[in-house]
Amino acid sequence: MHALEGVLLVDFGQYLAGPFGPMIIGDLGADVVKVEPVTGDGMRAVNQPFTGCQRGKRDIALNIKAPAGHEIAMQLIERADIVHHNMTVGVADRLGIGYDDAKSVNPDVVYCNTYAYGVEGPLARFGGLDPLFQATAGLEYESGPVHAGNPPMYYRFGMADTANAMLSVVGCLAALYHQRRTGEGQELWTSLLDGAQMFSSDVFVANGETVKYPKLDAEQTGLGACYRLYETSDGWIQIAAVKEEQWQSLCRMLRAPELVDDRRFANGSARDANREELEALLTERFKAKTALTWSRLLRDAGVPCELPVDTKGGELAFFDADNERLGLVAEYEHPILGRMRQFGMLIDFSETPGNIHGPPPLVGEHTREILEWLGHTPAEMDQLKAEGVVYWPDDRYAWTV
Amino acid sequence: MPGALDGLKILDLSWGIAGSLGALLLAERGAAVSKAEPPGGCPFRDYDGYAVWDRSRRSVTVDLKNPAGLEAFRALAADADVLVETFRPGVADRLGIGYDAVHTRNERLVYCSCPAYPDGHRLASHHGYDALVQASSGQQWEQPGWRLGPIFLHMPMPSMAAMFLVPTGILAALLAREETGRGQHVRTSLLQGAFLYTTQIWTYAEQAPGEFWTVMSKSYPAGSHQEMVFEVANGDWIHTSIMSGLTPVKSQDAILGVPEASNNERYAMLSAEERAQITPKRQAAYKQRERDPLIAEFRENNHAVEAIVPMGASLGGAGEPHAQLAANEMVATVEDPDLGETIQVGVPIHLGATPGAIRGPRPAPGQHNDEVFGALGYPPDAVAAFSGAA
Repeated sequence: MHALEGVLLVDFGQYLAGPFGPMIIGDLGADVVKVEPVTGDGMRAVNQPFTGCQRGKRDIALNIKAPAGHEIAMQLIERADIVHHNMTVGVADRLGIGYDDAKSVNPDVVYCNTYAYGVEGPLARFGGLDPLFQATAGLEYESGPVHAGNPPMYYRFGMADTANAMLSVVGCLAALYHQRRTGEGQELWTSLLDGAQMFSSDVFVANGETVKYPKLDAEQTGLGACYRLYETSDGWIQIAAVKEEQWQSLCRMLRAPELVDDRRFANGSARDANREELEALLTERFKAKTALTWSRLLRDAGVPCELPVDTKGGELAFFDADNERLGLVAEYEHPILGRMRQFGMLIDFSETPGNIHGPPPLVGEHTREILEWLGHTPAEMDQLKAEGVVYWPDDRYAWTV
Repeated sequence: MPGALDGLKILDLSWGIAGSLGALLLAERGAAVSKAEPPGGCPFRDYDGYAVWDRSRRSVTVDLKNPAGLEAFRALAADADVLVETFRPGVADRLGIGYDAVHTRNERLVYCSCPAYPDGHRLASHHGYDALVQASSGQQWEQPGWRLGPIFLHMPMPSMAAMFLVPTGILAALLAREETGRGQHVRTSLLQGAFLYTTQIWTYAEQAPGEFWTVMSKSYPAGSHQEMVFEVANGDWIHTSIMSGLTPVKSQDAILGVPEASNNERYAMLSAEERAQITPKRQAAYKQRERDPLIAEFRENNHAVEAIVPMGASLGGAGEPHAQLAANEMVATVEDPDLGETIQVGVPIHLGATPGAIRGPRPAPGQHNDEVFGALGYPPDAVAAFSGAA
């Protein structure tokens, strides 16, 4: 048995912050049906992020604006435990698949909408992309960092999208748990704006002033002399000498034992206060040896450190023996992309393991299978396809994924 | 406020961001979380951020090396629905509170472990500070910067992803428990957290054409989204967007008086050479404009745009809070016994029927010793002996 076996999630989302949450819920064992427009998910044009948010789903391509298509959508909603999408405010209601519509056929359904901004308020009508919320949460400012005179810098990971999606996963599972115990379904929502704000949740305002927090340096190496990247004779090393004994070992290994007794660096706050001076001293020392040499010496001396790995766009991580053995890598065959690898199970369960069902689906790859399940005959399916209400892959398949 | 997880008992033995924030997401849905700390309190308390990350829970202190303390902790675990711990693999077993030891007494317990690296990984015995996992997982190498090479991630990325995997795994196991009646061992890690955020940038596809990767690949200088960042007057910065989901009234370039590119959407389609012609003109135009009036004008014309601000600013740390964040009730006032009136991030998941709530400020170490251990029948003098309160 898989953790979420028997759970049906119907996913009307497109792009990223909609579809990613259902993909993770699918990895936990749920059956995820992606309802995709017959014109394709808008994200398919940007192949790689699309494939990162869709694996394991069954895909029905459906024009829900056509009455027959809407009827099929409602058949799916009727059977769903969770309905999930990222349409902007009001769109689902206009399409006739809003919460009230869903509730009318499935009173105890869990219904989740992920937004850019929110439901009500001055900016609720706007959609928006991930980096805008890296801006509001302070991430771009701090990663420049602007305070050191650099321009702001965006993060490449699209984490506001992912945070929004993951909040929706936590919300959906909490709501489903409540529903299992009480029979009560409900509507829930999350947003990119709120999700990104969690990344700076350590910074708050006390008595009218923002509390102090660690700052990145202009060279973007770290948060202080003992918690940063240093350049060695042949590459970089990350150190984290956060405890007093680790700092002392670091000084000895760098052949600078005199720093231990230097009053300018006597304790953590002194080292922070004299950060630039200390960093200049340590930077010189690290140039003397290679990164591997330093990592062996420092590790043997109890100084936490790692070499920053260039995984070649993830490829080394996906063919790493430990990652393969521990299930951190998933492999599947895609009809166009061939053999694919992506991250595997991110959560392990001793009793009810997850289940990665397969590659990202083609547009309408499972249309017929799903229509058959809903009770449609082959003749009806052909008719629906001819009318443009549904689609499944044929020799006119127009997408690259 | 009713919560979806009302009645659940969670024992939080975690140190670090992922455990604290992971438990927070469950606490503010209604679960009763007790944080178990060493006598004197968790050393991570020195960092201010834990005033937020460890709120909405009770605190007990217990000396696990004291046999009576160990037994009291096991009694708490026997009474809990969920236990969260973040030790290196093997440490909880050595302390006598590993999955096997605890699960034997409480079959329904969901036991969640979140070390830096998974048990059995060659790095499992290494130190697990966030920046080390940024390095070893390859994420520092992915991030663009103002120089070549690995870039330190100011946001503790692996931890800030694992914080979602912890409650996700726990909830999935609780749902499975509704079917099986049994708890289980749920394991994730900071390394798996780092992988979570590679979803848009790491795909290996044997037959994919080169274009498959180009849009999202790392570049130097930084590409795609960085071209939407502009300096405006007074040294302020804004991030503009190529789409808002709305139909623009006037284009951004018309608002700025730069006629060459009719809008950002078209700009995104231009070649690098064409962009290089236009970009300096745009940059010059932006610099003439004051940030807040320009943002207002952009929004009136249906363009999505945001000010690039320091951390804390959107909560009102430097003026008014972000209006939509406030409308989402994400700007919350919390009266903290040590810090006075604070403004913190609110509750980020909005459930209609069971909204949940912030359940109070971070507790003092051991503040709830008598209450929590007392409920299990421990008299105060026994509690004092194993909690370090004596």
